[in-house]
Amino acid sequence: MSEMQINAEAPQRESGFRAEMRRARRVMIAARWPVFAVIFLIVAALAATLGGLLAPFDPNRQNLMLRLADPMSVGPDGGVFVLGSDALGRDVFSRLLYGARVSLTVGFAAIAVGGSIGITAGLLSGYFGGWLDDAIMRLGDIQLAFPFILLAIMFLVVLGSGVWNLILVLGIGQWVTYARIVRADTLSLREKEFVEAARAMGDSTLSIIFRTILPNILAPLTVIASFNVASVILSEAALSFLGLGVPPDVPTWGSMLAESRDTLVANKWWLAIFPGLAIMLTVLSFNILGDWLRDFLDPRLRERT
Amino acid sequence: MKSHGSLIRTIAAGCLCAVLLIGCVEQSDDTIVVGLSADITTFEPGMISSRDNSNIARHIFSSLFALGPEGEHIPELAHTLDITEDGTGYIYTLNEGLTCHDGESLTAEDVAYTFNRIADPVNRFTGNAPGFVFTSIGFQNAEALDELRVQINIERKNPIAFGLITEIAVHCKDSYEQMSLDEAATSPIGSGPYKLASWTRGSEVVLEKVREPANFERIVWRIIPEASTRTAELIAGNADIITNVVPEQVDAINESGRAEVQIVSGTRRMYLGYNLSEEHAAMPGGDAIQDPDVRRALQYAVDVSTICLQLLGVECERATGLVNIQNANPDLTPYPYDPQLAERLLDEAGWPRDEEGTRFAIRMQAGQGRYVNDVNVVLAVAQYLEDVGLDIELELMEWASVYTPLLRERSMGPLFFLGTGGGLWSPIYDMTDIAQVGSGTNYTHWSDPRWFDRWPDLVNAEDQDEQRAIINEMLKVFYDDGPWLHMYFQPDFYGVSNRIQWTARRDEYIEIFEATLR
Repeated sequence: MSEMQINAEAPQRESGFRAEMRRARRVMIAARWPVFAVIFLIVAALAATLGGLLAPFDPNRQNLMLRLADPMSVGPDGGVFVLGSDALGRDVFSRLLYGARVSLTVGFAAIAVGGSIGITAGLLSGYFGGWLDDAIMRLGDIQLAFPFILLAIMFLVVLGSGVWNLILVLGIGQWVTYARIVRADTLSLREKEFVEAARAMGDSTLSIIFRTILPNILAPLTVIASFNVASVILSEAALSFLGLGVPPDVPTWGSMLAESRDTLVANKWWLAIFPGLAIMLTVLSFNILGDWLRDFLDPRLRERT
Repeated sequence: MKSHGSLIRTIAAGCLCAVLLIGCVEQSDDTIVVGLSADITTFEPGMISSRDNSNIARHIFSSLFALGPEGEHIPELAHTLDITEDGTGYIYTLNEGLTCHDGESLTAEDVAYTFNRIADPVNRFTGNAPGFVFTSIGFQNAEALDELRVQINIERKNPIAFGLITEIAVHCKDSYEQMSLDEAATSPIGSGPYKLASWTRGSEVVLEKVREPANFERIVWRIIPEASTRTAELIAGNADIITNVVPEQVDAINESGRAEVQIVSGTRRMYLGYNLSEEHAAMPGGDAIQDPDVRRALQYAVDVSTICLQLLGVECERATGLVNIQNANPDLTPYPYDPQLAERLLDEAGWPRDEEGTRFAIRMQAGQGRYVNDVNVVLAVAQYLEDVGLDIELELMEWASVYTPLLRERSMGPLFFLGTGGGLWSPIYDMTDIAQVGSGTNYTHWSDPRWFDRWPDLVNAEDQDEQRAIINEMLKVFYDDGPWLHMYFQPDFYGVSNRIQWTARRDEYIEIFEATLR
């Protein structure tokens, strides 16, 4: 009986999904700015994935005789330093492309880590309540009592720097946000009729939590995640700026910005401007996209959109 | 084009000044402000080890004699020195009427107490005085002969004992007997021209004038770790002297019209060290560098001249060892940059490239923010070594809290980047870093008997010529098979406000006594 229902519903769901996508495309084009955000993020994603092919130089290859070359200067072997070279004669454009890989990887991976922990904790907390709820929420309160950057510095000093440690630390820093939202939604959803129905049909607790409740709270989480990616990228930049991010031979936008400090006074503007722009545009794009997604998924605004 | 760049630099400098305008205050004529790059940790005379720390302490504590910029002897608390016939007793005669900051009379008994207290193992002091000076001179004890005469006894005759003893900060017995070690570290009662007025950790140290030869009523030492901020503070008029100006910022300062940069050829010896301890020999690459042939091959792999010119903004002569150039072995010529020769020698030493082009992997550690442009220098050295087939695992560490503890334990490496302060007044002073295998400053654990067995001969040399010949022999061993990849003597960049007249010394001593208002 239920198999027949599912099979019968599948074409309708697909058709509904297609309709939603069409509506999303229409609404996005009408809003204009999200289109630019998506285009920029696609470019950034391409730079991150194809950086090795696109970069004209090895991003770590030094050339001391060509250090601090202006943008569009001729580099070694007739190549061009499109965005200039840094204090060690490394190509800024190539480092920017490789930096995209680290910044975006860290951004998405940290959200995956933080989201997984937070969603699981929030679901368990909201569904079971009682001492488990108290324990998880108080743990979150304790963590929120510490400034995040301070907490991250503490962890990184103990764990050591490195991409995976950075992802772990940034992920751990995000879980409370997800846990609180998921808990609140779970508290209300667990009393709903469809959850009662699943319970009456003999579904296991885990099945109810992850297959019945979770799909119904994904929409707000998508919005939160899109904002969070931006804040995580900023945090990565801040930690790399402080020298606590990734190793010195791995280019990131934050560490490039940090390296530009000493040369900014000396009029070497390109060392700060380009990584700064990359960070700003990426964060802005995620924020615009998150903003649009929030409005798009809000049923109260559906009529207007 | 040039004037355009100059205009932009001037605008940038102006913007910096504008940003800091809210903090701009007209300096008082009786106050001088010095911006330092590194934080200080203690005022305990037995624990002071960094140059910035000792530069401040030099104004609080006097010593028996001092050394001038060219190594000349300058009387301070004492005016006469007699050395016993066997060369193991140094008898100083003190000036009359000396006092400490709390009013206590400073006599020979206090000087003897100072030396014995610093050497007392109960106190577990690990600073420059017990860790370098006393181990180098073989300090035995100190005794007051009468009210004004004190005798310092050392184990054996030592040609540089006088110079080393100038580094001991004298303090008074009664006041220090009443203080705990913690109190002594934070509330010094000194014997110098200034006393400590306040100390805010990580921020500033304020000294107030007690007596001559102090020119200014107050000295404010501000801790400003970030180079651009130091430069901005100097241009904005909030600092009179700043240390460790980044070469890229020299033009901005000189064109500001408010300050100028003094560049001096410093005495600090910068090198890439090989930690040859058993512990490090067991690490990847640690076994390779045990071989002097490998170490010699790597001397040819690094282009020190280009590093100096491009990253430090000056031309420099590559070091041939651990002695400053004026006192070096004149027969030795600096290793040239010859990567092909380096590769051939590495092949011959039994470390050919493998299929991936790597000869061996090795870890390289360095602190950051301590020396001029140190991060870029370390990255450049790593690149040069990778070019000849080494796989460098680079670890850049925070200086004070992460790298310094490794220095104390002599456990950084197998490759490590370091600079160690030197002097111009004696080659032996520079060589004393590696006077014994177990010296606190022998970070390499190098133990070549051709070096260490010559020390007694050096000390007992009949005359200067014999001594010089032994020094040259030892320096040749160090040049050929030593534990350093020789680099350069660090040029020092000081930003000095136009408000004051002050000349930077080559040995990194910052003496504000000599500063005056223009």
